[in-house]
Amino acid sequence: MKALLLLAALAQAVAAGPQTSEERGLWMEMDEAERELKDSNFVVRDSALQTYVEGVLCRTVGTARCAQARVYLVRTPYFNASMAPNGMMQVWTGLLLRVRNEAQLAAVLAHEFAHFEGRHSLIQFREARAKTDAMAWLSFLPMGVGAIGSVGLAGGIFANSREMERAADLASIGHLKSAGYAPGEAARIWEGLRAEQDATAAARGRKSRRDRNGGFFATHPNSGNRAAYLTQAAAGAGGDDGAAAYRAAIAPWWARLIDDQIKLNDPGATDFLLGNLARDGWTAALLYARGELYRAWGRPGDLEQAVAFYREAIAAGVVPAEAHRGLGLALTRIGDEAEARAALGDYLRLKPDAGDRAIIAAMIAS
Amino acid sequence: MKGWLISVTLMLATSPAAAQWSSEGSATKPGFSFPPDRPARILLFRPDVKVGAQTTAGMNEPSAEWTATARDHIAHALDAAQLAQGNTVVPMPELGGTDAALLADYRALFRTVANAAIEHRLFPGARLPTRKAAFDWTLGPGIERLGAAGGGDYGLFLYTYDSYGSTGRKAAQVVGLLLGVGMTAGVHVGYAGLVDLRTGDLVWLSADVAMGGDVREPEGATKRVAQLLAGFPGRVVPSR
Repeated sequence: MKALLLLAALAQAVAAGPQTSEERGLWMEMDEAERELKDSNFVVRDSALQTYVEGVLCRTVGTARCAQARVYLVRTPYFNASMAPNGMMQVWTGLLLRVRNEAQLAAVLAHEFAHFEGRHSLIQFREARAKTDAMAWLSFLPMGVGAIGSVGLAGGIFANSREMERAADLASIGHLKSAGYAPGEAARIWEGLRAEQDATAAARGRKSRRDRNGGFFATHPNSGNRAAYLTQAAAGAGGDDGAAAYRAAIAPWWARLIDDQIKLNDPGATDFLLGNLARDGWTAALLYARGELYRAWGRPGDLEQAVAFYREAIAAGVVPAEAHRGLGLALTRIGDEAEARAALGDYLRLKPDAGDRAIIAAMIAS
Repeated sequence: MKGWLISVTLMLATSPAAAQWSSEGSATKPGFSFPPDRPARILLFRPDVKVGAQTTAGMNEPSAEWTATARDHIAHALDAAQLAQGNTVVPMPELGGTDAALLADYRALFRTVANAAIEHRLFPGARLPTRKAAFDWTLGPGIERLGAAGGGDYGLFLYTYDSYGSTGRKAAQVVGLLLGVGMTAGVHVGYAGLVDLRTGDLVWLSADVAMGGDVREPEGATKRVAQLLAGFPGRVVPSR
């Protein structure tokens, strides 16, 4: 509650820039970080995708406000996005693979934007400074007395962080409603993430950590809680989910996103993820992805299944040229050399400038 | 983002007093000297300068004002340092497009290599069993493209980080002293490195975890730069 009052007090426009010495310090640190990030090879340089994501942000929070944020798409195959106090927003490509439609992407962007507008980094910095200072003095007290006080203070820092995450979640629902997106999609993200964690655990024979995000030390509310209060906040409101527009926008990146995900070597989660994305049917792109997964998985029978998925994908319609490469490589390992050569040849014909042209050509020749 | 901030905060707040380290201030690649026949062109990469205040618990509160002041003072001190000794020192120009990405890559690579070299070369206690005497760290010959883009033979990198003890930190230090708890006020670390832009070899390195000179003042910055450049290789001009 205290944190919420603090949020209200700080709700003056961030557009005016940093106001105090401590805020100027945080902005300076982030300006330096941004100076490095903007030239980093991890940043996706694709003007079409960039324009699309910025367009979704602007539709969600309004064109006047979205200009304060600078969006960087970062090629990292995990689910995350972040917002720095100076307006530097990072969206990881693993998130682009996981959200199913434009409304879900909008929910994440609105959440991050709410952190920025609410000056959450500054509040968290002050909170951490005040409480760790008190902890430092407490540490001089005889063992036990001071330690108990410190535990309470440290807990306060994390509780404050969770409170701000919740505030940003709820703000995102407001933005989705006013932008005409289906606000119920925000909760779907967390339901999907929980189920994905179950799938990872099942494939690895472990207990799921789906709602175990640190307990006392958690910086965010757990996924189960988030899904529950987001559903409640969105109740009754309809809107558009923008699924077709989203699929079209990420299609040129699909092969790379899938490749990055498969290299995480988490086949249980990847299989679940693809199934989750395929709830409305297995598209050619999803079948291709499943072929890639099964070719890499390597259990008995997986290569044969991979061949079947690639063939279905190619028959179903437009697929990345890499589908033909995958088919050829899987067939090679099964021992069907003639068919393998034909498929690899198709790949090189469809993608004459392929980076792996030399090695594929050598395989065909051998 | 904030999770990271919290972790670092707690780590700093709960860590014991800084360990006592002993180090050698600088090292030069054996056999290195600047070419005697002509002045070398040294490209100065944008120095990495951070200045802030250390809170009572040991967190750093970055200061934009102090950092900007220190950046100016350090630039002036470098101009005056006569580090060139007959060589020419020029700032690395701002690069665009793929050259900018290349520069970002090499800045990151230098940081990684320099950290390894500082740890395993300048701290004799941390030398690796198979690399007791070696000083052969390199960023690789690919760096030649960067030298060509910037127009230089050598690249000079500088890093300084200062967190000045706040009043609260100093008070806690005094109380700690009375109670027999060791606590430091202030963190002042810096390093500098020189890279051959044809071979990529690290040819000279200097570092200190307890640097002197208050970079917020012109004289302090001069002292700091002198300390960072202590042991910088000279250019031997042949007598005729």
